[in-house]
Amino acid sequence: MARSDVAQAIENTAPSAAVAQPGSAMMRSLVGGLVTALPVLAIGLAILNFAPTYYTYLALGAFVNLIVVVGLQVFMGNSNIANLGHSAFVGLGAYGVAILSTPLAMKKLSIPNAPFGFATLQLDPVSSALIALMVVGIVAAVSGKVISRLSGVAATIVSLALLIIVHSVFLNWTDLFKGNQAFFGIPKVVGLPWMLVFSVVVIVAARLFKDSRWGLQLRASAQSPQAAAALGIDARRLRLMSWVLSALICGLAGVLYAYFAGTISPKLFYFQMIFNTLAMLILGGMATVTGAVTGVIVLSVGLEFIRSIESGVTIGAIQLPQLLGLSGVALGVVIVLCMAFRPSGISGRHELDELLSRFFRRNAK
Amino acid sequence: MDYALQQLLNALAFGAEYSLVALGLAVVFSIMGLVNFAHGEIIGVSAYSVFLAAALGLTSPVVAVLLAVAAAALAAVAFERVAFRPVRYAPTTTGLLTAFGVSIVVQNLFMLLISPKPQSVSILNGLNQMWFVGPFAVSSLQVMELIVSGLTILALVLFLNRSTLGLAIRAASRDFATVRLMGIKANRVIATAFAISGALAGIAAVFIIARRGSVSPDLGFSLVLKAFVACVIGGFGSLAGAAAGGMLLGFIEVGLLVALPQEYGGFKDALTYAIIVALLVYRPEGLLGQRVELGDKEI
Repeated sequence: MARSDVAQAIENTAPSAAVAQPGSAMMRSLVGGLVTALPVLAIGLAILNFAPTYYTYLALGAFVNLIVVVGLQVFMGNSNIANLGHSAFVGLGAYGVAILSTPLAMKKLSIPNAPFGFATLQLDPVSSALIALMVVGIVAAVSGKVISRLSGVAATIVSLALLIIVHSVFLNWTDLFKGNQAFFGIPKVVGLPWMLVFSVVVIVAARLFKDSRWGLQLRASAQSPQAAAALGIDARRLRLMSWVLSALICGLAGVLYAYFAGTISPKLFYFQMIFNTLAMLILGGMATVTGAVTGVIVLSVGLEFIRSIESGVTIGAIQLPQLLGLSGVALGVVIVLCMAFRPSGISGRHELDELLSRFFRRNAK
Repeated sequence: MDYALQQLLNALAFGAEYSLVALGLAVVFSIMGLVNFAHGEIIGVSAYSVFLAAALGLTSPVVAVLLAVAAAALAAVAFERVAFRPVRYAPTTTGLLTAFGVSIVVQNLFMLLISPKPQSVSILNGLNQMWFVGPFAVSSLQVMELIVSGLTILALVLFLNRSTLGLAIRAASRDFATVRLMGIKANRVIATAFAISGALAGIAAVFIIARRGSVSPDLGFSLVLKAFVACVIGGFGSLAGAAAGGMLLGFIEVGLLVALPQEYGGFKDALTYAIIVALLVYRPEGLLGQRVELGDKEI
């Protein structure tokens, strides 16, 4: 039986002599994060070395989803508030680098009337990414101020409102974002190796946050607001902190997506992405980073399979018709069944390294 | 003057529609704490059953209206039975995500079984005419929307205040355990609440079909997002708050339509939501919601 987070937080907050050395605890979660990232690294390296180009392209998309889902886990898993607006930050990151780093010749074609001199500005990919992430951070800080003040349900609805606001700005500010049309010509500077590096970094960061003092306090306040408040935990500040961190990770996913795909459009960062990533997180289990990773691996493979049926397959002599919407039905069914029969997802409450160390300890006895 | 009156009627009609849908959400939320994202798909089921009936040769608009309301009420009860009962005692987030899942499933089923493209339904177009009242031309649909919504809300208030089951629903929103101790079955209370919520959605569906003349898989989704926002401004779970929030939302939207120049019209939704988020900064608990401190016990 796992100890409750509140009990752990009490122990952590109380000035007791028995508190573990902070350094060693951090070391442990760093190692734990790396262990969690191992399967991702293994899959990534295998694809890098053996897979044909088409699969590499699919894998890049899956890695972007992985980063988004880990970002989502940082907020949802720790604060236990459903967030339905995270793809707004993915979109902001992607459009940020698109506007800053696209070559001038391309901009003359796509956004010749961009305001604030963006039409004649071209930065290198790294500084574009940093500025885009800064913008994401600012938007997250402002929206987080509102969201962290609200109760759970209202916060979810406001996260949705944020998504609609951002999407509607993408669609209607045509001078800057090109509206409904695809924004093309973004330099393709990110390949699978960089994507792997960032995936590992993000997984470790999410794990460090979860195990940190703030992560623990936030999880405790989600479990019992009264007990946490009585310990002097400022839940609002912690919610804001995890919201901003979550948004930055999602923004990074957007930046990487734009840099590998080279072409983006607003509808990529709308409800479809929310459905996909949310189903992945729920299936894997939102309480842990391991859950986020598991969900992405299982559903990415499953969805690819369903998509191949969706576009119409030939079995023997029978040509099945196109079944548009099949993948959506599958995603929804996954969410509903998971919530009814296993709300904690595949991985439950334990991280991969915790499960492994338990397993080995049991065998040693 | 004519223009001002026309816009006022516009705002009232929009507001009435949002109120109807928001009330349906609030009835369910107040008694079982379920944030029903699948409410839009109840509207969808209602609209598609009218579409199917019309395709099978139904010609009477009256029957179509009755069918829309009945189908929506049935769909709501069925959703509860199949999907929401297993998560009835689960935390709010679990219920919310389940409802989100149901919404995705049903929307995609419309796509899969009927068509991803909008389908035309002309059976209720007769409701949408121009009426000439003295010097003014008004849309019959808007007038009816206002009157029907008013009557529906009145009927709902009477039901909740006068009937035993209505009383049980109101009591359940305070303390479900005590209601059950009084010998009323939990399943009956919840099924009734869902049926009411569905019927309200069905009435909204009638007006939507009459206005658009077509049905599409995502027909109810954006409307329900707005209804949620209406609930949040009013104070989540408060019925009066939902109705008031819906009206306020209607007025904000029409106000923006009038105030914004044509070329910025696309920003209407973004600005509406931005105004509402700004309102929430000052009153996080909503306009009619009560500030609840941790550990408060309701008396």
